[in-house]
Amino acid sequence: MQLFGQALISGIFLGSLYGMIAIGLTLTWGMLKVINLSHFSFAIFAAYITYQLSTSLGMNPFLTMLVTVPLFFLVGVALQWFIDVFRVDEFMSLLVTFGLFIILESVMRWFWTADHRFIPSDLNPYLGVSIWVGPFALPIPQLASFIAAILISSLTMYLLHRTYAGKALRALSQDREIAGAFGVDHRRSGMLLSGLAGAYAAVAGAFIGMIYGITPTAAIEWLPVVFAVVILGGLANAFGAFAAGMLIGVTDHVTSVIADAGMASLVTFVILILALLLRPDGLFARRIAE
Amino acid sequence: MKWQVPVAFLTAGLLLWVVPWLRAQLDFPVFYLIFLYFVFFWIAQASSWNMLTGYSGYFSFGQGAFYGVGVYTTATLVDKFDGNFLVSLPLAGLNAALLGLGIGFAVFRQRKLRGELFALLTLAVALVVAAVIRNMDAIDGGYGVPLGQVPYPEFLGDYSTMLYRLGLIIALLTVFVAYAIQHSRLGQGLFAIRDDEAVAEGLGVPTFRYKMVVLAISCFFAGLSGGLHALQINYVAVESVFNIRIPLFVILMSILGGRRHWLGPVLGAVIIYTLSDRFSSARLEFLNQIIIGSLLIVMVLFVREGIFARLQRRAWFALGLFGLVLVIQVLGGIGVRLISQVAVAMLALIAALLLPDVLYRKLFGWVWVP
Repeated sequence: MQLFGQALISGIFLGSLYGMIAIGLTLTWGMLKVINLSHFSFAIFAAYITYQLSTSLGMNPFLTMLVTVPLFFLVGVALQWFIDVFRVDEFMSLLVTFGLFIILESVMRWFWTADHRFIPSDLNPYLGVSIWVGPFALPIPQLASFIAAILISSLTMYLLHRTYAGKALRALSQDREIAGAFGVDHRRSGMLLSGLAGAYAAVAGAFIGMIYGITPTAAIEWLPVVFAVVILGGLANAFGAFAAGMLIGVTDHVTSVIADAGMASLVTFVILILALLLRPDGLFARRIAE
Repeated sequence: MKWQVPVAFLTAGLLLWVVPWLRAQLDFPVFYLIFLYFVFFWIAQASSWNMLTGYSGYFSFGQGAFYGVGVYTTATLVDKFDGNFLVSLPLAGLNAALLGLGIGFAVFRQRKLRGELFALLTLAVALVVAAVIRNMDAIDGGYGVPLGQVPYPEFLGDYSTMLYRLGLIIALLTVFVAYAIQHSRLGQGLFAIRDDEAVAEGLGVPTFRYKMVVLAISCFFAGLSGGLHALQINYVAVESVFNIRIPLFVILMSILGGRRHWLGPVLGAVIIYTLSDRFSSARLEFLNQIIIGSLLIVMVLFVREGIFARLQRRAWFALGLFGLVLVIQVLGGIGVRLISQVAVAMLALIAALLLPDVLYRKLFGWVWVP
């Protein structure tokens, strides 16, 4: 029981990281029709920058976000500008960002080599420190990532539903022409959303750097699971992505405890395939439609 | 079908069949044989991918799954059951085709699963296949499968000659089938599906059946070619077989060459493999990936028809430039190996074909009027 409960907690924490990466992806896909494969590269790149800043400058890993978040906001803006200028449609965006993904991977490999990079424990004081709740351990970086994921998805929901820019974006994603006629600038709104997605990737990257350590191929390892999360959560649904992330994370960890770690990835992908076949609009589709 | 076409394929096959003998006579290194084997391998992979994606428009990221099933069929049969290799080779293709049919049966009945959802689903299938194989001790179990010495018929020559010849047969067969499909009723139906599936269905194209047939054929050749490739790899491991490299390369090769013509992927495979082989032998793996990524972006944005279509329009200009650059290098003694010289000439060819139409007409229109 203790093992099972701990697996549940770890699953929730892992799932919050899945959700955090998935939110950026699902927003640009659902609202801007851009399937951004390089989103994963952004997250890993941000993780490397977190690693670099904390090892060579001795910065607190949490504070590195002050650098990476604005930086990747700009990267996201630039990507959307590029996609807008060259009129890249949904399908082309998959291939263009795939090209970008490959380029970024080789840049990371060139700069940081293929070795596994990990922030040394004296510079990463929170790693391995846990808050104990009864018999269960809540490791601090994971707990922080969970809180960050909740903040990010709430912030996104607030922005999209309560602010002018968010309403403009939702109008845009429903009908670009009509929204344009009402004075919504699709270029500026798109760049704002894409920048936001980039910033989220940077936050996720900081946690990846703190918790897991990084290799240049890490981007491809996160890709399939996060896509499963995006599809399960339903496109452009921030809370859906967050919830689906939890679901996948928990299944993952619980399967590892019941069966073994190899089975965990199998279960995840079987869930993805079933979801694609049975509910291609996402698990929470009906509730949104009503 | 015109009678010239099978004759042309046979002639090409016979000419290439004697290359190993010629190599021994002229005392070229064995490296050339292995290099050509890899070219054949990629031609088969790219062409088989293009039968499905180029013709029907269903974009697949799952090439690795079908190729991987082929590799592991050979690995399992040769290693565990000590089977005859030439018997297990067609089984590799059949296994992959069965997997394809299973996927198609589930997916093609869902109208929603087109475009990017189909692409992601095939990516997920590849990962599931990899996970299953890694977990099944009877196939791999996570430790990899060493093949060791595989017995094969004597008349195929030594090991690399055998690989070369079987690779040649498989590549020619795949390309011939790609040609035959394009010029058949099936191909016309698939093109209609790619352009507009609803209209095609309305006009009486049996879309479900056509998609299933082409998926099975495409998977068969991917598996067949993978089945042979297991002998080249020799130490089969999940991490290397289900690498992102296979889907990435076939996509890039077909997009570079062009997806609307059966020769597009062939041209793309020859160029991309030669260039990437030269880059890695010059220890420029880093540059190789960057160039491949940039090429993919440039092709998708600016040359969506692929370079083969442009080659048809500017054949004299592009091939002339290719020949000129090659001759200058050979006569001038620049570079060491013939392959490197060819690779440089290919870069010139690509540059000639990437030239935008407007610029081309302005610069050279007065010489070669299209």
